[in-house]
Amino acid sequence: MKTAALLILGAAMASGSASAADKWDGADDLPTSPLSCDASPAAAAAAKPYDGGKVTGAADKAGKPITLVDVPKLIGIGYFNATTKGMQDAAKELGNVKVTTDGPTEAKIDEQIKFIDNYITRGVDGVLFAANDPVAIAPVLKKALSKGIHVVGYDANAQPDAREWFVNQAEFNGIAKAMIDAMAKEAGEDKGFAIVTSTFTTPNQARWIAEMSAYAAKCHPKLKWLETVEAQEDNVLSLNQATTLINKYGDKLAGLFGMTSVATPASAEAVTKARLCGKVAVVGLATPNAMKPYVNAGCVKSVVLWNPVDLGYAATYVMRAVVDGKLKPGATSVEAGKLGKLNVINGSEILLGSPFIFTKDNIKDFDF
Amino acid sequence: MAVLATEIRSSAPRWLIRHETLLAAILAVALAILCVFNENFLTIDNLLNQGRLMTEVGLLALPMTFIIITGGIDLSVGSIVGLCAIILGYSWKNLGFPLPLAVVFAVGVGGVAGFVNGLMITRVRVPPLIMTIATLALYRGLAEGISQARSVRNYPEWFFFLGQGEWLGVPMQLWILLAGIVAAGIVLDRTTFGRTLYAIGHNETAARFSGLPVDRTKLIIYTLSGLAAGVSAWVLVSRVTTTRSDMGTGYELDVIAAVVLGGTSIFGGVGTIWGTVIGLVMIQLLKNGLALTGVKGDATIIVIGAVLIASTLIASSLHGRREVAS
Repeated sequence: MKTAALLILGAAMASGSASAADKWDGADDLPTSPLSCDASPAAAAAAKPYDGGKVTGAADKAGKPITLVDVPKLIGIGYFNATTKGMQDAAKELGNVKVTTDGPTEAKIDEQIKFIDNYITRGVDGVLFAANDPVAIAPVLKKALSKGIHVVGYDANAQPDAREWFVNQAEFNGIAKAMIDAMAKEAGEDKGFAIVTSTFTTPNQARWIAEMSAYAAKCHPKLKWLETVEAQEDNVLSLNQATTLINKYGDKLAGLFGMTSVATPASAEAVTKARLCGKVAVVGLATPNAMKPYVNAGCVKSVVLWNPVDLGYAATYVMRAVVDGKLKPGATSVEAGKLGKLNVINGSEILLGSPFIFTKDNIKDFDF
Repeated sequence: MAVLATEIRSSAPRWLIRHETLLAAILAVALAILCVFNENFLTIDNLLNQGRLMTEVGLLALPMTFIIITGGIDLSVGSIVGLCAIILGYSWKNLGFPLPLAVVFAVGVGGVAGFVNGLMITRVRVPPLIMTIATLALYRGLAEGISQARSVRNYPEWFFFLGQGEWLGVPMQLWILLAGIVAAGIVLDRTTFGRTLYAIGHNETAARFSGLPVDRTKLIIYTLSGLAAGVSAWVLVSRVTTTRSDMGTGYELDVIAAVVLGGTSIFGGVGTIWGTVIGLVMIQLLKNGLALTGVKGDATIIVIGAVLIASTLIASSLHGRREVAS
């Protein structure tokens, strides 16, 4: 009896928590648009007409004080603490904006929907969000728009017609190019690499990986894609998964990608512990503070990211501009305080800028 | 033995009534306070909306009450919700089932998942806690494996009626929950089947010797739990318009919290559907009321935890006094 129970338990544990898929390429079935291999700028896409949603019956609060709620994917992690700080900075500068950040403690879509729903009932002038799922969040955002509440997204998009504007931190193909180019340079053109991501269902990570796959096939066809593993946003699991990859592939593994601000430092830690610094390159998305020890020790050469403080800051300025009627459908740019003029792309997105690459030379200048 | 049993049975309802009255009183006070602090709370619109959000967990709480009354537990319900949601989307999108058939199939798979739990618990005698911890991981793993992390979207508009539509001004899914509550209440209160559940919870060996169909009863309630998870998944997919393999994660704790707060003893033998409903409403409205009053997410969890502990303490002190008295 006990044996049977243990057997089931064992089988369940093995099949649960951490699954892996070879060459998993994002699997979100959306079209990819890899950039050109050299540094030449992408051909300017034909201007797309505004495709965002429309708010109905919003009170005219141009220049008047407004109350906003910010519902990120989850609260309590460094990344969203940084976006929150940016929002507070912007609110202070503007003087007539109040932002409250509230959200689930785990990145769960139905929890996030409940938070937004409750704030619609409570009554706010605007909702800022970072979606856990672009489609699932759409009905509740449309409900907000229909009740006269302005909706602006940042970090992770929703379906365009469910929000007015989306502040895009960096284009997916831009991130993909920066990541793959760095890997090809550090590990070698014909070497094997693996990816540690959050979960296969997380839209941003899936999109980046899909674009990375397309860009690698186009510009670095000899790179060998060994495996993609899930590690939630969990420190210990990320470290275990990275260590497993190192042990599993041995000499065949010349590089690790970390797709989250948790997976990248954990991968760097795994490489350091295995005494493979210099033999296994680590390239990834992460916040500078978490990566400083590894970059300073020379174990990691490039960390790719944007500035999340700027992202929150820009989202707040965009919301203010929307409420004031300064950012209307068809606009080509928007003023965002100290960030200057930000460009509109893809119809209803505002681009923060190119991805930023932190190296040993510049990482000391950043603190978040 | 028989004397003892009658004694417990005759005194149990009195204690139960007191616990539920007390809980209802606490609920009323909490609502009054929340109502004073927020004008948007006690509006028909908000309350109906909360009913909508409560349905998925509520449907699971009904069979969970049955299971906990027998002294068992089902920790796998959240994972079954995830599995059924994936089966619904997958059989429709990838296997080409017509959507109504996919719904039936998904609910059926939920029933099978619950039946497997029941079968292992009754035939192999794996303790429910261990069995359902195992299937908690197993079913979630299956959901992730089948979906290959692909979300299913683009359901036709009519499919959203259940999750977002309303009938006679009341959200559709709330009707399903209400029907479930009435049915479960009658079954537990007025049928031999219901009394068998209490008998198993009080003393399983005695129930067996009395010739009650203990194993068959258990098999039925675990299967019911799986079926309820299937229906819950259907409602959830219709409400959030997307199928993802992480759906229903953590539901088991919300469900058990509602049942236990409603006065059902985790040791078995004691509990009512009405208690569960009060527990369910209490947790949902507390969460909502606190959120509307401006209490942040993490503080809300602390308050819910504190309420759970306090009401359990009050209940057990009443329980203790009863034993002294009798």
